[in-house]
Amino acid sequence: MAEKEKLKKIGDILLNNAMYIIIAVAVVYIAIMRPTFIKLPSIVNILSLTAAKLPIALGIGGCIVLTGTDISAGRVVGLTACISASLLTTVFKVFPGMTSAAPLPLVLLLVIGVGALVGFVNGFSVAKFKLHPFIVTLSTQLIVYGIILMYLMRGVNNGQTLSGLADNYRSFITGTLFSIGGVAVPKYVLYSFILTIIMWIIWNKTTFGKNMFAVGSNEEAANVSGVNVMRTIIMVFMLAGMMYGITGFLDGARIASANANTGLNYECDAIAACVIGGVSFVGGIGRISGIVVGVLLLQIIFTGLNFLAVDANMLYIIKGLIILIACAIDMRKYLVRK
Amino acid sequence: MKKLHKKFLCTLLSVSMLAVLTACGGKDNSNSAANTDSRATATNTDTNVAADTDTNATTNTDTPAPADTSAPASKDGSVAVFYYTYGDTYISSVRAALDSALDTAGIKYQDYDSNNSQTTQSEQVTTAIAQGATVLVVNLVDTGSDDAAKNIITQANGVPVIFFNRSVSEEAVTSSDKCVFVGTDYEMAGHMQGEMIGNYLLENYDTLDLNGDGTISYVMFKGQEGNAEADARTKYGQEDADAILTEAGKPALSFYDSANSNKYLVDQAGAWSSAAATEYMQTIMSQYSEANNNMVELVIANNDEMAIGAVTALQNAGYNKEGATVIPVFGVDATDAAKDAIAAGSMIGTIKQDAEGMANTIANITANFMDGKEAFDGVDSANVVGTWRVNIPYATYTND
Repeated sequence: MAEKEKLKKIGDILLNNAMYIIIAVAVVYIAIMRPTFIKLPSIVNILSLTAAKLPIALGIGGCIVLTGTDISAGRVVGLTACISASLLTTVFKVFPGMTSAAPLPLVLLLVIGVGALVGFVNGFSVAKFKLHPFIVTLSTQLIVYGIILMYLMRGVNNGQTLSGLADNYRSFITGTLFSIGGVAVPKYVLYSFILTIIMWIIWNKTTFGKNMFAVGSNEEAANVSGVNVMRTIIMVFMLAGMMYGITGFLDGARIASANANTGLNYECDAIAACVIGGVSFVGGIGRISGIVVGVLLLQIIFTGLNFLAVDANMLYIIKGLIILIACAIDMRKYLVRK
Repeated sequence: MKKLHKKFLCTLLSVSMLAVLTACGGKDNSNSAANTDSRATATNTDTNVAADTDTNATTNTDTPAPADTSAPASKDGSVAVFYYTYGDTYISSVRAALDSALDTAGIKYQDYDSNNSQTTQSEQVTTAIAQGATVLVVNLVDTGSDDAAKNIITQANGVPVIFFNRSVSEEAVTSSDKCVFVGTDYEMAGHMQGEMIGNYLLENYDTLDLNGDGTISYVMFKGQEGNAEADARTKYGQEDADAILTEAGKPALSFYDSANSNKYLVDQAGAWSSAAATEYMQTIMSQYSEANNNMVELVIANNDEMAIGAVTALQNAGYNKEGATVIPVFGVDATDAAKDAIAAGSMIGTIKQDAEGMANTIANITANFMDGKEAFDGVDSANVVGTWRVNIPYATYTND
């Protein structure tokens, strides 16, 4: 009997950490097949790609904690990337009247504001009209896409890709932060790091953060115990929108060309990363560290598969399986507790 | 703490309010300014293009236009134009050019965005026919089979249909005598790109062969799986370059990663996007570099978006800037961004798709259908294939 329980316990531990075990096995396998995978340039590459995808995931994480989701994220990134690229440029096609690039901090504030505005619309509609976030953000996703298309038709741009960015903008984002072993680490890694710390403080050390988890686990209970549910929901979505704005600002310079496709489907990877990192759709559960790990793990897997030259068609299947397994494990924990 | 929150919320709200105000202000201006602005520039670019490429089609369609607009009567009937997606940069330039060509010809039109869904497009066609459209101009979404095209022709039931840009088979087009196709010989883009690459490599072989091993290693960025144009560009872009190299006694190109049997990297989202190319390129360079003596020495991309994406990654790694080593990057489309990059020397060449030429030909044929003339009346006969198709020629675009 005791033997059986022991086995079950070991099985539980294995299952609960299945994600990490799979990833560890994958890393070892890839490293054996392709030793360059664990060399410094490759590690820096994985870290910087992770940093680039982190802010949007940090934003979406809050929405998931509220048992919601946000599928407008990618389009908001696209819009803010287009705004950044149109103002911080050397060829003024969207605003033919401009003669010099706008100041960096001003544009950063503007795109954060735009992100917050979309977030406000999302949050307000969810909280006030009691709509499911999926429907609300589906609507704003479409609205924002329409705005992107109109914005790109402005001036003499005719829907063309925005490029020719100002040098100070690009170097502010992709310039070298420091070099280790001759490998340059781009500056946006630092920005991502700072954002992670800020989000950690907001989630863990503020009343707002605690309210967010309270509303996420039980809206009624939170309401009864005096939490302003509506304000909390609105602020979570606004905070998320601000993160998308920053992602757009970073991505505009990182890719150095923004068009109507920029940001397309970004939310899918971000949501997947959150779920893999243990932010539960059940609500009220999730950690910033989990999100970071989720984004990192997804990136390791995909860079690794790229190193192994895995067929592109297989990538979709592998991605789907990873998300499915992660969700199943997550639900299992929840059911056990119940 | 509570006070802090209020402040936080207040600043957030005021920032967003400001954003609303400026956004609205901007929009009001744009409405009036954009109208006059875009007209003016549209005509400007038109004349520029005519001067640059002397396409007969351009001058032919342009000449009758002034007479029409001076006469008060615009043409009877209306045109419904279906674009496969507004999100495509090249299609956007066709749309801008076609809108202005139809405006000057005095033809009423309505544009539809099919948003990359054949279902949406087929439903839009039904709606347009119900509204009484007299000519349909269709940029088909689903090019994989003839069914979608045939379905639209059947629905049209005698209303003329002009397909453009995305390929439709001869069988489908000729099934109705009021149906034509305006496109490009899509395989030509790949052939011309390959030829351009082959010749460029021969001229600069020794400087491009960074590790001096005698072969040029390359990477190919494919825009999408299951798209005939992407398949052709991926195939011929490399094959034709190889043919030129081997004929001159040089070894064929070698894909940078010998384990990849596809010999291309594809945009997972199928969006031909610059972001996909940037991230692939960045990952490639974390494994293959000059320090390791295995740097990628040539980048071929299915379109300019992906080419620009690769250039960005190269620039972030210190390549393709002034005074730095330039890894040659080739694309297709000749978008404004690519032209700027080519002028700056960070990209080598692209294949120009003539958006204005295509738009003017479509407007010409539309007017012919409305006036009951022969479909290809006034279209440059050198570009006409049989009775069903017009090919708008491609051109190479480099810094020379």
